[in-house]
Amino acid sequence: MVVAGCDIGALTAKAVVMRNGDILGYEIIRSRAKAVQSATNVMDKLLGKLGLSYADIDYCVSTGYGRNIIPFSHDNVSEISCHGKGASWLVPSIRTIIDGGGQDCKAIRVDEKGNVEDFRMNTKCAAGTGRSLELMAEGLGVEVSQLGPLSLEASDPVVLQEPCCIITEIEIRHLVLEGRDSADIAAGISDITARRMLHLARNLGIKKDIAITGGISKNVGIVDCLERALKTKLVQFPEDPQIVGALGAAILAADRAGNLS
Amino acid sequence: MIYAGCDLGILSAKVAIVENGDILAFEILPYRSLPRQAAVEAMERALDKAGISAKQVDYCLSTGFGKKAVPYTDDIAPDVMCLHRAVRKLNPRVRTVIDVGGHTFTAFNIDDNGKITESAITDKCAAGTGKFIEVMAKALEMPLEELSEASLSSNNPLRITSQCVILAESDVISYVNDGYDPYDIFAGIALTVADKIAGLIRRVSVNEEVAMVGGVAKNSIVVRDFEGVLGLKLADLVGVDPQIIGAFGAALMAEEERPAS
Repeated sequence: MVVAGCDIGALTAKAVVMRNGDILGYEIIRSRAKAVQSATNVMDKLLGKLGLSYADIDYCVSTGYGRNIIPFSHDNVSEISCHGKGASWLVPSIRTIIDGGGQDCKAIRVDEKGNVEDFRMNTKCAAGTGRSLELMAEGLGVEVSQLGPLSLEASDPVVLQEPCCIITEIEIRHLVLEGRDSADIAAGISDITARRMLHLARNLGIKKDIAITGGISKNVGIVDCLERALKTKLVQFPEDPQIVGALGAAILAADRAGNLS
Repeated sequence: MIYAGCDLGILSAKVAIVENGDILAFEILPYRSLPRQAAVEAMERALDKAGISAKQVDYCLSTGFGKKAVPYTDDIAPDVMCLHRAVRKLNPRVRTVIDVGGHTFTAFNIDDNGKITESAITDKCAAGTGKFIEVMAKALEMPLEELSEASLSSNNPLRITSQCVILAESDVISYVNDGYDPYDIFAGIALTVADKIAGLIRRVSVNEEVAMVGGVAKNSIVVRDFEGVLGLKLADLVGVDPQIIGAFGAALMAEEERPAS
């Protein structure tokens, strides 16, 4: 049985295809303005890579932005449930998931089966999201992917105070003009982003094991800050942590397809 | 004698070259991350347009966010003073000036004797700045000029409620996904921006005539909505590009400081 999960984020679209409980492949692309376009593009690309067609998919669950209008999906589930399922399937000991997505930042607590117990999510401010990291990277004049490695080289990290990333971007531009070391600024960016994520997680209540998912998890500087603040190592996923939502959707698709037959 | 002014802003470098109080040439150069280089290149281009060499510039002042980083400047000049000089020269009837730049609002009053009375500057709110508009135009995947012109005829502006730039961007993306007209979306953005600017100008007295300068003053729909909110017509600046007012003022101040003997 072949099932698929499709997670349309604000910044990236992710798709996972599974066969009989194993991951066959996954794909991550930059999102387009329209969710349907993003979903179709990422799924076309993944199916092409795997040599499959839409007809081969027995069941598909979509999640994320515009999850209810994806033409090839059979059902849609909230990204919070999908993240819980995906993370728990990969590492069953996980109880708390901190997810740094493109435009939202969430903390999710799950039970031993990966069902969501409770969660917190940003509603008024985008601090702690991938998009805020992108803007701050723009202020520093580096690619967002360089921020993590750069921040580990810091010798005297700057302390950024303002949670608002637009204001912080301006503060960063001032620091650049003053000649502050890029690594020290990158470390300041990691620190303020991690603090924001921790604020949500602590409000929710943190249980071990703790994992970080979403694009932000790829920033080693932020992971380092979180681990130091939490005084514990974060779970290492055997797969790309950015696909956890799409993977959860695929697992739920398998469940549903199983119930159908 | 030839004078120059460079206004190094957060999103663009502006240079004006002036002889006997008249603009010989100017240049506006948007940049992403290298402000110093942008300042140098903008000057080279302006000199080219004026058909003169750098040596022919007798005195140069810099202003704006990066004023201290302009390598060729002879001295720096305060932002408000530069705006004041240029606006006085272009239209002495102006009593209130609002500068809406890439990231900062500046507003001040001029009395009948030409003295600055009240002033207010804020860089703690990004909603309503050039950066905000730029991010929204990118989310719509359309050129800003086209959006601001074509949205003028929208009859159904869609309101954006989020104060956070990134969440407002997210609102825009949702509107696009729901199939709304991009010009209606942009018309809503313009209203939000106009409201924000009107709120900020009220930190000083709104005495007529009111002049709006800075990059956002070139956005026709924002200007129209701003006039609507305040119930007045903005002052005429005799066709000088509102984005170079700071640079023009810096060049005028250079002339004042080192007059031809």
